[in-house]
Amino acid sequence: MTLTRAYVRALWDGRMILGYTLLLSLTLFIVAPFLMIALRSVGKGWFYRLWLPPQLTLDWYRWAVEVGNIPEVMKNTLIIGIIATAISTVIGIFAGWAFGRRQMPGKEVAMAVILLPRMIPPITYALGVAKIFYTLELVDTYLGVALAHVSVCAPYGILVLSATFEGLDERVLEAADVCGANTIKRFFYVVLPLIMPGILASMIFTFTHSYNEFTLTLLTYGPNTVTLPVRTYLAVGDGYWEITSAMAVIMVIPSLVILAMIQRRAEPEKLVGGFKGV
Amino acid sequence: MTDAMIEFRDACKRYGTLVANDHLSLRIRRGELMTLLGPSGCGKTTALRCLTGYIRPDEGRIFIDDKDVTDVPTHQRELGMVFQNFALFPHLTVQDNVGFPLMIRNLPKDQRTKMAADALRLVRLEGYESHYPRQLSGGQQQRVGLARALVYRPKVLLLDEPLSNLDAKLREEMRFEIKELVTRLGITAVYVTHDQAEALALSDRVAIMNRGRLEQVGTPEEIYEQPQSRFVAEFIGLSNFLEGRIEAVDGATMRVTVGDLKLTAPALPQTGPGQRVLLFVRPNEIELLGPDAPAGENVFEARVEKVTYLGDMMDYRLAFGQGLALRVQGDAHRRFSPGSPVRLRLPRIRCWTITSG
Repeated sequence: MTLTRAYVRALWDGRMILGYTLLLSLTLFIVAPFLMIALRSVGKGWFYRLWLPPQLTLDWYRWAVEVGNIPEVMKNTLIIGIIATAISTVIGIFAGWAFGRRQMPGKEVAMAVILLPRMIPPITYALGVAKIFYTLELVDTYLGVALAHVSVCAPYGILVLSATFEGLDERVLEAADVCGANTIKRFFYVVLPLIMPGILASMIFTFTHSYNEFTLTLLTYGPNTVTLPVRTYLAVGDGYWEITSAMAVIMVIPSLVILAMIQRRAEPEKLVGGFKGV
Repeated sequence: MTDAMIEFRDACKRYGTLVANDHLSLRIRRGELMTLLGPSGCGKTTALRCLTGYIRPDEGRIFIDDKDVTDVPTHQRELGMVFQNFALFPHLTVQDNVGFPLMIRNLPKDQRTKMAADALRLVRLEGYESHYPRQLSGGQQQRVGLARALVYRPKVLLLDEPLSNLDAKLREEMRFEIKELVTRLGITAVYVTHDQAEALALSDRVAIMNRGRLEQVGTPEEIYEQPQSRFVAEFIGLSNFLEGRIEAVDGATMRVTVGDLKLTAPALPQTGPGQRVLLFVRPNEIELLGPDAPAGENVFEARVEKVTYLGDMMDYRLAFGQGLALRVQGDAHRRFSPGSPVRLRLPRIRCWTITSG
């Protein structure tokens, strides 16, 4: 009994060390792959069982840009992302209003149907999309790839924005009416500012989703609409691991920029009014 | 121009089988502070929302300033409204909240600033212009709400339980402030509440509602002293109810039999002997006398059954007559203990009667 207690106490006393060890392992587990990629993208002659690359170089980036045609690919990715985000956000605003503010029969069923593309295996869904898009000649167009992305991006927008609309205080809208605002003025002076945090959140979600989307792009892209994830995947097939690593690093940069933006913008007081319970 | 600023003419509103407003007809005079008072679900909020235009009555018409507004949308009705949960715009500063109705009306910026400052001075909230609503206390937020409602001097001010989200002390303080402000500005105000003390304290007239109908409309004194129905008497203040029958009418007074006792009460117009009446007396208006007090009009023997100490007064439950019970509130300096015999006097003019059955 006392021995057990002694062990427990020892563990308790050593809990800081234990805790930090655990945290450090977790961090390594998450960060290690990134570190590997980053290191490989600047390493030269890094073969066999060497722990660190013997030489550093930026050549792989030059190769990635020149051979891999990264600027063009980046442009495609951003354009498709912007189109997908715009469409998803507009759908999200209208559907979110309906889901969040109106009583309607079959609300749950409708929501389930909207979420379906996220629930079934992407490749299954992508095959169906590809078949339809070939018929409609939407394959290898910005709009086509973006629309394919919308099918999985829009549900996020709808979810976020219906929660936002649900959180809008009915009385505040009524106050705007009584103050003399018609529907249009009420929307621009009251509703829009209040749902802005939701719109921003929805845009960030959908953009990153489109930016990272792989399966749906793979089955709808063409020579003119290669996106970064697809280009990186193709480079893996070509067997140039260093160039692939450089591309992977380039691909991460916008995600980091967005993350930094969120961190700076998402001050709690700026989100006031947009969410429930505020 | 009639003397009525607001008129409900036979307004009805039903929700399925529930009748929220049942042929509501009410005229609210210019410059008057009218309170709609009643328990929750009595239709007072529905009536208010008929005024704002958020609800359209199924039947009947609503008039504001002699104009039929039944089909006028909310934003064209030129109202000011104060909400229970304040309903301020959380993304705007105090200054912009108050200036909102002016901005909607496209007033130039400098005029807006000046009028907003005036309104804020009116509610004693200068110096908070650049604060956001969430940085203010409940009482301050409601002052902003009041300033926003008054800033463009609307013809009608609507107040929907504006004080029920505030704590008791502040509530009492703001009660008088609102009353003073409304009187000073000469604005017509409709005040919805379920708090009878609030209604009595600040209204020019009170309209008591029950199950979608008006029970009684009158000044606070009339409502309190001359209730026209059992509901009103029960809802406003405390009351003892005694069922009786008129024995004889003698000019301005009448004799009423209650159980085995005979009481004298002011005569009830258009009644005669044999008419069943409901008699009520407020607990604080019954005089409690010692057991050997001289007999007299409406003096009865009774026995103290229960005593509750309420601080500023004593609350007694008395048994008297044959199985009759009364609640009496007496002053705390003179105490009677349970079981002790007493005499009580029901002052004749405090015995209010209405016909029943």
